[in-house]
Amino acid sequence: MTDMSCPEILRTQAWLDGELDEATAAEAERHANACAACRAFVADAAALSDSMRERAARWTAPPHLRTRITAAIANDSRRVRINLRSENFWFGAAGGVGLSALAAAMVFFLLLPVASSTFLESVTDAHTNALMSHHTIEVVSSNHHTVKPWFAGRVEVSPPVADFAAQGFALVGGRVARVAGAPAAVVVYRHGAHEVELFAWADKGRLLPRGGVSHGYRTMFWKEGDLDLAAISDMERGELEKFVQLVRSEKQ
Amino acid sequence: MVLGGGIVPSMDDRRRRFEAQALPHLDAAYNLARWLAPVDAEDIVQDAMLRAFRAFDGFRGGDAKAWLLAIVRNCSRSAGADARRRAHAPLPEDDAGAIASGDADPEAQATRASESRRLNGAITLLPNEFREVLILREMEEMSYREIAETTGAPIGTVMSRLARARGMLKEKLL
Repeated sequence: MTDMSCPEILRTQAWLDGELDEATAAEAERHANACAACRAFVADAAALSDSMRERAARWTAPPHLRTRITAAIANDSRRVRINLRSENFWFGAAGGVGLSALAAAMVFFLLLPVASSTFLESVTDAHTNALMSHHTIEVVSSNHHTVKPWFAGRVEVSPPVADFAAQGFALVGGRVARVAGAPAAVVVYRHGAHEVELFAWADKGRLLPRGGVSHGYRTMFWKEGDLDLAAISDMERGELEKFVQLVRSEKQ
Repeated sequence: MVLGGGIVPSMDDRRRRFEAQALPHLDAAYNLARWLAPVDAEDIVQDAMLRAFRAFDGFRGGDAKAWLLAIVRNCSRSAGADARRRAHAPLPEDDAGAIASGDADPEAQATRASESRRLNGAITLLPNEFREVLILREMEEMSYREIAETTGAPIGTVMSRLARARGMLKEKLL
């Protein structure tokens, strides 16, 4: 039975979903770590998210439906051209949706400002600082037998390192960084014109959000073994998910 | 002819803009329709796409996905037989095996397929207003604001429905 007894549960959930501004997120994170009900809620919700992502049916439109719709639109386009008048009904309906959306948006801005969180900000900062200083790589190698040992002695964690060149993500090297004050190993990959970085730091029992977007970079978080992991890039969401799947399916 | 010359390109232009901004969300539209009304999903999506195209001039930028999914949702509701339909709808388990599986081992694959069926069944059993927020959040990764826009519910309601939906799903899976 899900314990929703804590009055802060919705704020905890908003933190998990990456919906809070930095200051609120820090407070929410502190609370979530200290409150048994919130900790349990976060653990359950994160597990559900994972199983929905991995196992629930996500339907894609069958090709014949796509064809039918494109044809119907082309046909309608001609019809409207002849009538020179479009129907007004859905204008009205859409206007209604727009209005309630506006109202909802106003409530939103009062309640929750821009999305971000402390781990999210920290990883984003580490990533963008490295990009700006052109200092993303301290050990240059496409060989994981070179990169993995390089971390030993430099950082207390041993990150998963593998080359996914065959799948389009080429290992280019690694460096060390700090995430929320803790040392982290960073494994750097290249995907076309994009850089993707995998951050790994020791899991100290602090809760992780599932992901979020900050300054145009998308980050996804997960836990594995005794590590907290984050993947960050300016790639499309689908591409980043693909990368995360690859890393997660790679058994070290 | 002078008039026609001016109008024809603008219609084609509207179609191009629609195809560029709305059509990329066709899979999301179909997924939502499939989860809300499994039996009529194709008709609902076609209806919604056409309505969206006709109303496209009224769409002034903003989030095309949330806007389109709001129309899909309204179409699946206005069919008016949501609950009735759902009672007769087969659980979407027949295609559970279609979900990508990394397991080569047939036994692991079977376990995975049965877990998928169980999960899909549990999601299907959630009441509509809880199922939709969960689908929009977990599958479409939409923000609270976008979900509010699609469902027409205030943000606070979205948040509490999402928390309840997660709690209910967990209980069903226990």
